[in-house]
Amino acid sequence: MFMLQLRNELWKLFGKKRTYIGFVMFLLSQNVIALVFKYTHASRPMERMLESSGNLADQYISTLTIATIMLVPAAVFLLPLYVALIGGDLVAKEAEDGTLRMILSRPVSRVRLLLVKWLAGAIFSIALVAMLGVFGLVFSRLHFPWGGLFVWMPEQSILSLFDPGAGLGRYLIGHAMLVTEACSIMCLAFMFSCFNMKPAAATILALSFVFVSFIMEHIPFFKEYQNWFFTYHLHLWQLVFAEPIPWWRVAQSLSLLAGFNATFLAVGITAFQVRDIKS
Amino acid sequence: MIELRDVTKRFGRRLAVDRLTLTVPAGEIFGLLGHNGAGKSTAIGMMLGQVWPTAGKVLVRSQDVMSHRGRALERVGAIFETPAFYDYLSGWSNLVILASYTARTSSRRIKEVIDWVGLTGREHTAVRTYSHGMRARLALAQALLPQPELLLLDEPGEGLDPEGIHEMRQTILRLHRELGLTILLSSHLLNEVQQLCKRIAVIRQGRKVFEGAVSDACRSPRWYRLATGDSNGAIELLRSARLIANANGERLIELADGVGPDSVVRLLVKSGIAVYEITREEQTLEAFYLSLMRDDPQRADKNQSEAACSCGSKSGAT
Repeated sequence: MFMLQLRNELWKLFGKKRTYIGFVMFLLSQNVIALVFKYTHASRPMERMLESSGNLADQYISTLTIATIMLVPAAVFLLPLYVALIGGDLVAKEAEDGTLRMILSRPVSRVRLLLVKWLAGAIFSIALVAMLGVFGLVFSRLHFPWGGLFVWMPEQSILSLFDPGAGLGRYLIGHAMLVTEACSIMCLAFMFSCFNMKPAAATILALSFVFVSFIMEHIPFFKEYQNWFFTYHLHLWQLVFAEPIPWWRVAQSLSLLAGFNATFLAVGITAFQVRDIKS
Repeated sequence: MIELRDVTKRFGRRLAVDRLTLTVPAGEIFGLLGHNGAGKSTAIGMMLGQVWPTAGKVLVRSQDVMSHRGRALERVGAIFETPAFYDYLSGWSNLVILASYTARTSSRRIKEVIDWVGLTGREHTAVRTYSHGMRARLALAQALLPQPELLLLDEPGEGLDPEGIHEMRQTILRLHRELGLTILLSSHLLNEVQQLCKRIAVIRQGRKVFEGAVSDACRSPRWYRLATGDSNGAIELLRSARLIANANGERLIELADGVGPDSVVRLLVKSGIAVYEITREEQTLEAFYLSLMRDDPQRADKNQSEAACSCGSKSGAT
């Protein structure tokens, strides 16, 4: 029954047009960024940096490098928006539309209903990240040759060069880690969605939480406390582009994100469990 | 089938339901009446485990809804005032989705229910294209999917045209007759309630002010039709003896508190006025309902106890 309910939840989720906003925007933005790199001088600073360190720019201004560069704005700005939108909708939209009352006139437990919905949200997050990766590769491949991966992420002090095979591996691991960011923000919005509020309010609250955490994390005073900030651990996907990968830090962030997610889910379930569902 | 024991519900400081005790026996069509905000939907919400009572106990199919919600609602269907669906999906998909929250349901069963409500041919069309009446049928279909023993109908006639209301009435009677369902009907349509229900409860500001048979509600507890040889003299005499509280025209009298028709007859006969008839006045459910809504709660309580007494001594005529 759980699988049947999950299938139906996905059916509902992917039956709505707004679910596809994220996919469409990724498709457009990845394409535009790839075109900008191809037809402007946007890659010139990279070329200079590579040549000044004795590398051939042609080998590294490649599909993988452009796809990874495109990943940064998508992961920082767009992905949180779309997963928060869906997470905020999952319960609150049904409550607003009145369908939640129809569901809860049936003998399904509230906890089970939330678990099904959360899982559907997680599957959406995985699908969105997967498409982000696929679109990045496809659109950059249309305009750039296959080659090595050059990554420069000054904030994480990462400057790495990989041959094509290793670069593709890092690109895939990076997306696997990006799923944790997407799921965590979705779960945060989902938690707010379980309270008695409009779906837009749940989404805005979740995004506000993310932005406030991000701003505070970057205030010099809080530098030594950055471990405590939610967003600090969301950057986890960037770490896999370091050479070597700081696995201890990755594991630490993964475990903390698991804790954040468990807390968000527990708070959401508790709020939903004690709540009165009215018309 | 449904039992509410001293159920109270507060939303913050607002008292929505106040010590409500209600029993709906199996096999009955029971009407729940009350003004907007009286607490009817809250009471139905508590029966469905959607609203948690602040105090008291709610039993559905002999199961405590708070602790055994799953078992209590296994064979319960519900229809709300404005049935909400996933408009972008077809009627069939909506039924498949809603059914999955009860139990695995075969396509044959879904088809059977669609046939029963008369939606065959439109089940694969998106719900957003459905008329109000078709949505009402789909709502009925989803309520019938779990093969219910009990149907909770919260304002099912809201927004329907006269044909729709007629159809709804026929459907409820058919459900009761053919499937033997127990039905709790919450409605503002007093005429429908009068035609459909055997028993009713009236809620006012969260408190039950009447529970009893519709026939008792329609029988005025205090107003009597009196036929005598001297109408004006009789009313004067009864008024001076303080046996009546009010009179309407020459034939309608309202007995004073604690006075029975026997006292009236005794006095009139003793005074030499011929009494041809004294009958309890019949009133419409609407008149009864409005009298309850106009009364202050204490008086309403008195009405209820008088109505309850009248169940024991129904012979109003002498």
